[in-house]
Amino acid sequence: MIYFYDGSKNAFLTAFLLAYHDENAVLTCGSKQLTIGQEARFVQTDPERAARTEKRLLEIDPNSMVDLCTLLRSGDEDRDMVAFDYFRLLASRGEPIKAMLAEDAVAAADACIRRVGLEIHRMHGFVRFMECASGALYAPISPDHDIADALVPHFRARLSSYPFVIHDVKRGKAAIYDGEHTFLAPLDRAEVVLSADEMAWQSLWKSYYESVNIPSRERLKQLRGYMPVRYWKFLPERN
Amino acid sequence: MISEEKLRILTESAKYDVSCSSSGSARKNNGGMGNGYAAGCCHSFTPDGRCISLLKILLSNDCIFNCKYCMSRSEADVPRMTATPDEICELVMDFYKRNYIEGLFLSSAVVKSPNFAMEQLLLTVKKLRTEYHFFGYIHVKGIPRADEGLVRETALYADRMSFNLELPTERSLKLLAPQKSKESLLVPMQRLQREKSIFKEEKRKGHFLPAGQTTQLIVGASPEPDGLILRLTQSLYQKAGLKRVYYSSYVPLVHDSLLPDIPAGERREHRLYQADWLLRFYGFTAEEIVEDDGNLSLELDPKCSWALRNFQYFPVEVNRAPLEMLLRVPGIGARSAYKITEARKYTKLTFEDLKKMRVVLKRARHFITTDGKFYGERQQSAVRGLLTSGETHENAVQLSLFSDLETARSALTGEL
Repeated sequence: MIYFYDGSKNAFLTAFLLAYHDENAVLTCGSKQLTIGQEARFVQTDPERAARTEKRLLEIDPNSMVDLCTLLRSGDEDRDMVAFDYFRLLASRGEPIKAMLAEDAVAAADACIRRVGLEIHRMHGFVRFMECASGALYAPISPDHDIADALVPHFRARLSSYPFVIHDVKRGKAAIYDGEHTFLAPLDRAEVVLSADEMAWQSLWKSYYESVNIPSRERLKQLRGYMPVRYWKFLPERN
Repeated sequence: MISEEKLRILTESAKYDVSCSSSGSARKNNGGMGNGYAAGCCHSFTPDGRCISLLKILLSNDCIFNCKYCMSRSEADVPRMTATPDEICELVMDFYKRNYIEGLFLSSAVVKSPNFAMEQLLLTVKKLRTEYHFFGYIHVKGIPRADEGLVRETALYADRMSFNLELPTERSLKLLAPQKSKESLLVPMQRLQREKSIFKEEKRKGHFLPAGQTTQLIVGASPEPDGLILRLTQSLYQKAGLKRVYYSSYVPLVHDSLLPDIPAGERREHRLYQADWLLRFYGFTAEEIVEDDGNLSLELDPKCSWALRNFQYFPVEVNRAPLEMLLRVPGIGARSAYKITEARKYTKLTFEDLKKMRVVLKRARHFITTDGKFYGERQQSAVRGLLTSGETHENAVQLSLFSDLETARSALTGEL
């Protein structure tokens, strides 16, 4: 049976409980082609069931919900099944399994969690804010994984006196800090009026970037390894 | 706003300093802008493959010293520029706000006198902290021969300070940097280290170099062998308590009869960094790593080279070997070693298991058994041949700027 769920944590936990004993279960929140004879079920979130599942999983591994939330951020195509297989193994073993890296399910989940964590770490560096006329900061991003809101605490701690918007243009949503509260909102297109000095600072940054490079030591392969091309779109220094 | 020309000139003269790391400080944002990010953070990468973490800039390039290798030496005919403390502070604030940088790496030529230059550095960072309320990362270069009071006060505002040793022996310093001496560099380092420990013991309020001290050595401008450089490095880590020693392979910017005209091989710099890693994280000593001729092998990385010289210790069984021994297996990095010690608690690891765990086995397979099975070559000479042919030029990337976790991790797992 194919179990469709909406990608949220509670829907996952509900679907997980329903599918747990189904050996041929396929969990997905994407659009999955049904093969002939395959049954599908659209899982409605059941808060009571979700809470029960969460409680049990937390008893087994206190860190399991953090792992689940990270897995559900992943943009990898197979992430629903990676998460399902991992939690099914966790539930059947009844003890933390994270270090059992020789298990396929654990290795896959570990790699997936690692990729999300790496992108969060990278984006802490690669986010580029523009200063708006209002003084607020605006940064468009287009990450592989759904991490916009996960970036907020980092910037909120260092830029606490500036309201800012981190706009995931790929997913049409924005993580917003208004100077006091943080929230996530759908946002397709943003109209941004830049401050008078913004372009001058960007141009100064580009000059710095050029000057600090040592041309006789060109290593573009390394550059692309550390800063993959897909992240260049919003970096003034690469445009 | 600082002029573009000034920014360019003051950056050009600062860029050969290798250090860019922003790690080691967890300074809190105390009602202003910025904080420390203990793991460090890279904000961009330049076409030379280096990371930009800090705004690396000179306050001035107008120098009275005449170090032969330096593009800002007093004899050089180059445009001279000096920035005001406010120009630097403004630049830091506006770059930081846009998330271009993690902080400031401020250095200066010796303008007028060592004390004057140090005073200007102090003035700038003090202003940045107290008037601009900047709590991000600050690395300040120490000026040799500056008054110790000025250096100590600077340390109260900086996260990290560094005096560059530049050359590994007094003789080379005399020849190439006549106004510097080993003493003028080592003594302030030791003094800062002492003061830091007193500061800690007395639990004084505030900060005193939370990210410690580093230094830099130029490799290839003078004739010292790798062994001497590594023994110096080792004692700087053990006795002077330094956090990092950076190696900068010499780039001839200046023609002088005392200096080589060819750049030092970047392969050599790469090998020194690998050896440095072995000293800090893998439990090796300088004496163990260096070859009989007093240098590192250019053909093989220092861990492979050590393992071949000590072939009698191998192969080791991954299911039983202590962590210290796993760390000595070529190809197994710190992360892989840790993964192995964790995973083997639950099951007997096979060769396939290691593959699944993404342990790099190309080199390691000659030095390990997995559940008693051996998949490598038994003859030392055959192993040497395989390892040497696997060392293409591509593998010899410059690993000089580990400022973020992930680069450090890839180097730990893949490169050694």
